Amino acid sequence: MKDTVLSVEDLTKVYRSGDKELVVLDHVSFSVEQGTSLAIIGPSGSGKTTLLGLCAGLDTATSGVVSLMGYKLNTLDEDERAHIRNQYVGFVFQNFQLLSTLTALENVMVPLELRGERNVAGKAKELLNRVGLHDRLHHYPSQLSGGEQQRVAMARAFITDPKILFADEPTGNLDDENANHITDLLFGMNKEKGTTLVLVTHNLELARRTQLILRMKGGRLVEQEKVVAV
Amino acid sequence: MSEYKTRVERKGRSLFRDGWVWLMAWRDARHNFSRLFLFTASLVTGIAAVVSLDALNNTIQNDIDANARRLLGADIVVKADNAIEEEITRTVDSLKLESMFSADMASMVLFRHNGQSRLIKLIGFSESFPLYGEVVTVPENVFDTIQSGTYAMLDESLASQYEVSSGDTIKLGTMDFVVVGVVQEIPGGGGILSTFTPSVYISYAALQKTGLIQFGSRVNYSLYLKGDNEEQIAASVEVLRPLARRYGHGIDDVAEQKEDLGRAFQSIYRFFSLLAFVALILGCMGVASSVHIYAREKRDEVAVLRCVGSSGWQAFNIYFIQIFLLGIFGSLIGALAGLGIQQAIPLLLRGVIPFEVGFSISWSSLLLGLFLGTLVSILFSVLPLVSVRFVPPLTVLRSESEPETTFSKTRFVVLTLIVIFPLAFAAFQTGSLLTGGAFFVGLLIALLLLAAVAGLLLKLVRKYFPSGASFIWRHALSNLFRPNNQTRLLMVTIGLGAFIISTLNVVEESMLNQVEFTGRENQSNTILFDIQPFQKDGVVNLMRDNGLPVNQVVPIVTCRLSEVNGRTIRELQADTTDRTRNWALTREYRVTYRDTLHHSEKLIDGEIQHRKNARDSVYVTISEGMHENLNVKIGDSLVFDVQGVPVKAYISGMRSVDWPKDPPNFIFVFPTGVLENAPQVYVTATHIADQQTANKFQRELVTAFPNVSLIDLRLILATVNSLFDKLGLLVRFLALFSIATGLIVLAGAVINSKFVRLKENVLLRTVGARTSQITRITLIEYAYLGLFSALTGMILSLAGGWLLAEFFFEITFAFDFVEMLFIAAGVMVLTVLIGWWNSREVIYTPPLQVLRKEAG
Repeated sequence: MKDTVLSVEDLTKVYRSGDKELVVLDHVSFSVEQGTSLAIIGPSGSGKTTLLGLCAGLDTATSGVVSLMGYKLNTLDEDERAHIRNQYVGFVFQNFQLLSTLTALENVMVPLELRGERNVAGKAKELLNRVGLHDRLHHYPSQLSGGEQQRVAMARAFITDPKILFADEPTGNLDDENANHITDLLFGMNKEKGTTLVLVTHNLELARRTQLILRMKGGRLVEQEKVVAV
Repeated sequence: MSEYKTRVERKGRSLFRDGWVWLMAWRDARHNFSRLFLFTASLVTGIAAVVSLDALNNTIQNDIDANARRLLGADIVVKADNAIEEEITRTVDSLKLESMFSADMASMVLFRHNGQSRLIKLIGFSESFPLYGEVVTVPENVFDTIQSGTYAMLDESLASQYEVSSGDTIKLGTMDFVVVGVVQEIPGGGGILSTFTPSVYISYAALQKTGLIQFGSRVNYSLYLKGDNEEQIAASVEVLRPLARRYGHGIDDVAEQKEDLGRAFQSIYRFFSLLAFVALILGCMGVASSVHIYAREKRDEVAVLRCVGSSGWQAFNIYFIQIFLLGIFGSLIGALAGLGIQQAIPLLLRGVIPFEVGFSISWSSLLLGLFLGTLVSILFSVLPLVSVRFVPPLTVLRSESEPETTFSKTRFVVLTLIVIFPLAFAAFQTGSLLTGGAFFVGLLIALLLLAAVAGLLLKLVRKYFPSGASFIWRHALSNLFRPNNQTRLLMVTIGLGAFIISTLNVVEESMLNQVEFTGRENQSNTILFDIQPFQKDGVVNLMRDNGLPVNQVVPIVTCRLSEVNGRTIRELQADTTDRTRNWALTREYRVTYRDTLHHSEKLIDGEIQHRKNARDSVYVTISEGMHENLNVKIGDSLVFDVQGVPVKAYISGMRSVDWPKDPPNFIFVFPTGVLENAPQVYVTATHIADQQTANKFQRELVTAFPNVSLIDLRLILATVNSLFDKLGLLVRFLALFSIATGLIVLAGAVINSKFVRLKENVLLRTVGARTSQITRITLIEYAYLGLFSALTGMILSLAGGWLLAEFFFEITFAFDFVEMLFIAAGVMVLTVLIGWWNSREVIYTPPLQVLRKEAG
């Protein structure tokens, strides 16, 4: 049996605004095993992104438990969660989230440098080469197209060999050609490195490439569907 | 039930051991260098102001140390307002000190070549002056000529004012003197006081023959002494000091001279250093506001860093390192600029300091600048930068995510230090916790009031701005209310400079107005004194012949105190617990006698008691304030020594005296029937309407009554004017530092809001705005900002000036409207220039470029 990388138990998130309460996640539970892929889908406002943020330790839940790599995230402070992210987690975002003042190469190097590792440029170049950007190493984000920026973000996400990769609408800002390229890279690297993949998307076609689909509606997990490989 | 790990083992790295934050600081700064430099540019002007004054102070204090003996002209000087007591001259002889002496008095001089005359300080020197230093003359080395007959030398300013050349003749008393040259520098002379009464130098022997020293003449005597070595000098001071005290003489030695000069300049320095302090505080506000905006803009990047595993402190350190290093750099630039400016300030202070200020570099000032700048950049950047630590990583998913309000020890400590810093610095600058504290509170109140006035002004403008005005004018105004525009902060920072300059204007104008007012509407503007009894009728007739009113003819009797409340002056001097001031006990008093109050006086306590017959006790009134110096109250007894005759008197009343109003005014007023037979002189006062009449009258007076002196209040007005000009120039110069800091803060704010402005302009262009319209909107926006800032400062200064004039100085409030207009126009032009210069990119960037960037 594979190890559980992520487990979510009875997770609830409530936003308070004055006297009003808005329940955005309502008692959600599921778990994800090492090396598998999972897609969270649902209409806008269904709680997908909130769920992703909580699973990745970017936010704290109102109640319930998120366990990432065996660490109970609720009990950790922000800096401890940052350490967990650095050690085990990779991210790919819809709007790329590259650091505008750093070159492509420097953006990719940052997570390893944060660990205090030295001579990381070689590995970063290798990954950028892998995503087809060997000739864009010293370009700044503003000098790259959207597809290229997302490939830099992918290289950055994979440089730490993360146990789990969270992707929030990774193809949402891209044209079809670039979207396909990114999707192939994402699943290819997921398979190659054995990384667990958690994907938030509106794109059903993309979701169908994962092994498990969680369908959200009104903050509740309404369906878990195992995808049969065609 | 699952087993969870609830702690994370991780090693924290200190700022100095975490190479990554230094690397990231550099990577990030590469692209922000020009903007980051603006953060610390705010510091440059403040540091430059502080360093320039501190360095000047150090240089001057060193110069005083080096020049004290030369400035005094002797090792010891004994000063007296009557002839030096014989016991003292005998003692000096026995101490084997080299000596020489001088006498000085106020006198009229008549310039024969043009018939003009004025009041001067006439100084007669015995031979061998000075004992130290030298008298710098033109032509060179002619000072000793005055000893050889009826020769005189003049202060350079006096000679140039009355166009006197060598060989011209001047009349002093009953004698004519030939001018042999001008004096540029003389030990014990120069400085600000010489502006009021320029000097004429003759020999002591000649002075005795002028006929000016008569009964009642006020003559000051100085005995200059020189010893062979420090031990002899110190021993001599020990012997002479108690003797001098006993006879009411003053005694100065080199150490005291150093102390006096040092203290005098220190007072000037402290006043001006507070202006530098204002510039520094404005710089601090500039740093804080720029870093606040910088930190806000860095939120997204910090969120990404947090996502990939950076700790809050690491994110904070990246930007802190940038600010810290640039803070040092800015401080260094400011300190070096300050040392450069230091060399220029003595030019502004020429005539205020009695010696030439040398050129030197003060390393301690440079270090002070570096230390202060670094401290300020740390203190005032940490508070806004701490927010970076609390940026939630969730911001990468939801940009509207706000950090939870977290109590931070760092915030608390920094906030406490920020409150302490200005207080400590003001105390350091003023050398007194109380004065520094008062100034700090005053500045705080001024800033709060400026902020309040700025807020009110903006509110009123917004409410009452004509809705029918054209789009450009309305849009330019609405730009001031753009979120994060910092309009109010800019109005306060720029307005503070305008406030300082216009307050100076109000105080200057009100005081000059007061002096002018004193001479208006038949109030006396000319005082004649030292009139001998036999000259009284002649002087009065001369005044009437010239059509001048005789406002009052007042008898003056000179006397000294010999007892206070039954205790002799010596007993009081010997009593170490007695609070009475020695100078008050030993000075010469010039008293008058009358049974009524003068219109410059009010009886505030007791009564005026007349003397009906010769056996009645004598009751005098005393002026308010003097009772404290003499430590007396109503009913106390005094014994006056009136030219050798003891006169016992009791204090029956106390008068408040408006001293500048219709002089002369007096400390003691006797009743009639007591002093009529005592030796006395007269003072009279008149009103002279025009300069031509004044010249004619002065000429006739000096010719007919050479010993009678005349004070022309208009001349004092001119002197006060020139004093204000000299000091005002420096105040304005230092206020410019504040305005410059305000403008740098403005430049920072404009650059920081560039992106928002770019987007707005693109929007305007897409709906059809032309470049010329966008340019006009920008220029008008900054013109508004400049105008409102100037108005903010000026409204507060007018209100403050009015309160000061009405309730503190009790003088008529006045201001120079034209200068106010110049201040407003100057601030507006500077603001528009700085605003436009930094907005050029915003105005002229093609819209497509912005849209492409946005899309990218």
